[in-house]
Amino acid sequence: MWANYMEAFRLVFAPDVVIAIILSSIYGLVVGSLPGLSATMATALLVPVTFYLSPIAANATIIAASAMAIFSGDIPGALLRIPGTPASAAYTDEAYAMTRKGQAEMALGAGVWFSALGGIAGTISLMALAPPLAEIALSFSTFEYFWLAFLGLMCATLVARSSPVKAIAAMLLGLLVSCVGMENPGGVPRFTFGIADLLGGIEPIPALVGVFAVSEVMRAMLTPDPPPMPKRKFGSIMAGQLHLTKKYWWPMTRGNIVGIIIGVLPGAGADMAAWVSYAMSKKFSKEPEKFGTGHVEGLVEAGASNNASLASGWVPALLFGVPGDTITAIAIGVLYMKGLNPGPTLFTEKASSMYALYIIFIIANIIMIPLGIIMIRLASRILRAPRSGIMPIIVLCCAVGSFATGNSLFAVLTVAAFGVIGYVMEANGYPVAAMVLGIVMGTMVEQSFVTSLIKSDGSIVPFFERPVSAVLAALTIGALAWPVLYWIWRKFLLRPAHA
Amino acid sequence: MKLSDRVTGTFLVGLGLVTAYAGHKLPPVPGQQIGPEVFPVVTGLCIALCGALIAFGIGAKFEEEAEADLAAHGGENIAVVERGPLYKLRVLIPPGLLVFYVLVVDRIGFIPTAAIVAFLAATALGARLKLAAGVAILAPIGIHLIFYKLLRVPLPDGFLPMPWR
Amino acid sequence: MTKITRRSFATTAAAAAASLKLGPAFAQENYPNRPIQMICPWGAGGGTDATCRIVSALLEKEFGQPVNVVNRTGGSGVVGHAAIAGATPDGYTLGIITVEIAMMHWAGLTELTPKNYTPLALMNEDPPGIQVSSTSPYKTVKELADAIKASPPGKFKASGTGQGGIWHLALVGWMQAMGLPPNQVAWVPSNGAAPAMQDLAAGGLDLTTCSVPEARAMIDAGKSRCLAVMSPTRTKLYPDVPTLKEAMNIPYTTGAWRGFAAPKGLPAPIANKLTATLKKIYDSKEYAEFMGARGFGTVWNDANGYASFMDTADKQMGDAMKAAGIAKT
Repeated sequence: MWANYMEAFRLVFAPDVVIAIILSSIYGLVVGSLPGLSATMATALLVPVTFYLSPIAANATIIAASAMAIFSGDIPGALLRIPGTPASAAYTDEAYAMTRKGQAEMALGAGVWFSALGGIAGTISLMALAPPLAEIALSFSTFEYFWLAFLGLMCATLVARSSPVKAIAAMLLGLLVSCVGMENPGGVPRFTFGIADLLGGIEPIPALVGVFAVSEVMRAMLTPDPPPMPKRKFGSIMAGQLHLTKKYWWPMTRGNIVGIIIGVLPGAGADMAAWVSYAMSKKFSKEPEKFGTGHVEGLVEAGASNNASLASGWVPALLFGVPGDTITAIAIGVLYMKGLNPGPTLFTEKASSMYALYIIFIIANIIMIPLGIIMIRLASRILRAPRSGIMPIIVLCCAVGSFATGNSLFAVLTVAAFGVIGYVMEANGYPVAAMVLGIVMGTMVEQSFVTSLIKSDGSIVPFFERPVSAVLAALTIGALAWPVLYWIWRKFLLRPAHA
Repeated sequence: MKLSDRVTGTFLVGLGLVTAYAGHKLPPVPGQQIGPEVFPVVTGLCIALCGALIAFGIGAKFEEEAEADLAAHGGENIAVVERGPLYKLRVLIPPGLLVFYVLVVDRIGFIPTAAIVAFLAATALGARLKLAAGVAILAPIGIHLIFYKLLRVPLPDGFLPMPWR
Repeated sequence: MTKITRRSFATTAAAAAASLKLGPAFAQENYPNRPIQMICPWGAGGGTDATCRIVSALLEKEFGQPVNVVNRTGGSGVVGHAAIAGATPDGYTLGIITVEIAMMHWAGLTELTPKNYTPLALMNEDPPGIQVSSTSPYKTVKELADAIKASPPGKFKASGTGQGGIWHLALVGWMQAMGLPPNQVAWVPSNGAAPAMQDLAAGGLDLTTCSVPEARAMIDAGKSRCLAVMSPTRTKLYPDVPTLKEAMNIPYTTGAWRGFAAPKGLPAPIANKLTATLKKIYDSKEYAEFMGARGFGTVWNDANGYASFMDTADKQMGDAMKAAGIAKT
């Protein structure tokens, strides 16, 4: 084993690998921070480059770029209220509220610090627990996925800072959007109105860019320039993070664990991990009323969670070739291409290469801290730039970024339409983040629900019969029933005591 | 665009019912007892239910509490200046610019289109001529460099191909 | 920096001038003298994308001109396929077209058929395998087939792709070849082969009929067994697995294929040059190694061979889709 680790270190510290890690990290940071470009796209665009690299260097670029992109999606979210990736959408409002309170450095510092710690926790789980974690992944059939997706959707009510009914309505609108297209269990065109571009459905990225970025520019058209932020030096980014780590030790650990478990399950990735963790953080916080007003606790847990899920997402990919999310789907292709075929033999015959991948994960998460600080410092300059100079650039980024998702101008029209939808929703108290959750999760909810029913010939018994499924069902029903019971208890049982 | 809950709720009821009806009309898939119609019908009915709850003002109390919390924790409010009814139509400028982009970019190329979009957006936001012109010239070139060269996005050349293609 | 910029600007200007002033004959003679766009109708990271990118990289080496892969996704392949067919047939927009071009028009999703293209070369085909979970009682395809025949329709559940997708049709074709109704095994639509293989291992399905490379990792992990392949010969990946003909004397074969094509009306000299260059790439060590590493099957058919291959495939798919009740036309 030690010989393998020595060999692994030799592989990682080869000059080409080191250069690949640094360059792809910078690349990931830049791409992730541009509105409309996701971590998946950053990774996909690296594939042609990996043709020319050694096996370890090729995988190093994917690992480093995806980790950086997930973190740097937080930057435009915190500074401009425009999340860079769907994973950041859950807590964008929170981070932006902190910026408006003059705490941008704390919000972004927490982002980079807890992302790095989460990434390292995820890597350790990958190193120590890959086989048992993989068994969890394989115990999930569509019945379990249905409950999981259902639990995920319920986060909408917790995350949003508005009437829960409106949050649910916004989430359902998101599900409705996900109905469009022919990627449904029937494989027939649905709600496409005869438009070929709609056959593939509405991609989450243009919708996300529309409801957040375009609607933000639309609001700017009506409001006068906000009072300039108090002129002051952008403070230290890392100061206070150790204090936060101590204070929020348990939420952070919980975020890591949730992230690792959700990451391992194929199909549920960093996006869902961030949502669930942010919602859990609010649910179990001692000060839930502060959430949404610029409170760092939720950022700690969600940031720790989404980067942890990134590492554990590699477990099913490495063991069974089943992608944990879209990023590992691309990584599997690269693994095959480079002769590192996924499977248990990878852990025995190619052990030194495997250890090298672990080391790269750790290194990528460590250098995320200095590179992230530089990126935050550069990006924070836009806080001082005049709004009329920044907003036009955002409009252009929206157009080009959404065009790039499928190289089709139709996506730009989607962005414009969702800008209007987002603006109207926001003005009337419907949280747009909940709609994004619905769009991201919609396909999984429907797919798991309908295929489960097909498999059980229409019976709902198997939803409660399988052991893991039964536990998840109990959790879901409990979470659903709890607020209702609490309300009844307060209204009918507590009232007489007062009277 | 602030509408009353009664209006948005009623709209959702309508939308939900239309969705459920349209979903119900979808043809069944041969060989499957559960087809593509189930999910839209369920979603549509749930939307209609939520819309009805909103229209009757259920859950509005939470919203007031949330607003109060937000105010108590020092979220700043930017006063909206009231002007004529036409002033409100300015919100349509950003989506309008995106539609403009889609219509002309293939004809005149990325750089000229982006320059026009950036210039109009900057001016609409009250930028002085010098800033608007600066943004209109530099931003398209910078974005072209990043997206075309680094990310290989095929932006149309049009009249002004960039030297780095 | 300025130097490079100026030089490349000069090249662009010269190329533009050349294509403006000189006639088409000259343009064909000098083909290619500017970058080529290669359209891929599927997303980055998938098998079609990988095939498209390796061939593009090798084309770039042969031609000395950039070959840029553009993923025109959306519409479940309709959008990208339409973009290839609708481009100017000047040899500067090419694309990879997949088995779906022989299926989508039957389902009424598009008017496009294989006839809307100038075929250049067929370079890859992967047959479906019949996979069961490693805990399944069926050790051979014959045992599985007998159990399917003996059970009521719909008791066995299979998956591998969406409703009406290529692997669904493979299952329907196999059932028909055995003289069974197309819905003897119920099809559970899935979002691609990977989730189906996972569900197979999780115990939610009885069999999958996805392609062998897609099933490979689960088979290698010992979670699944491949019982037979629906191809004329055994695959290089698993030489021990029999073909359907060997195991049950059923001559049914099918597969998912990928080939390169240009818009209809491409001038013959350019088409010939492209086919010749693609042949050179097909014979290259790099292509063989790449496809071998991914476990993708390689086949070669030149322009004419590819055209008649697509005609046969079009008819086969149409028959299977009509049988499954998916075809609209």
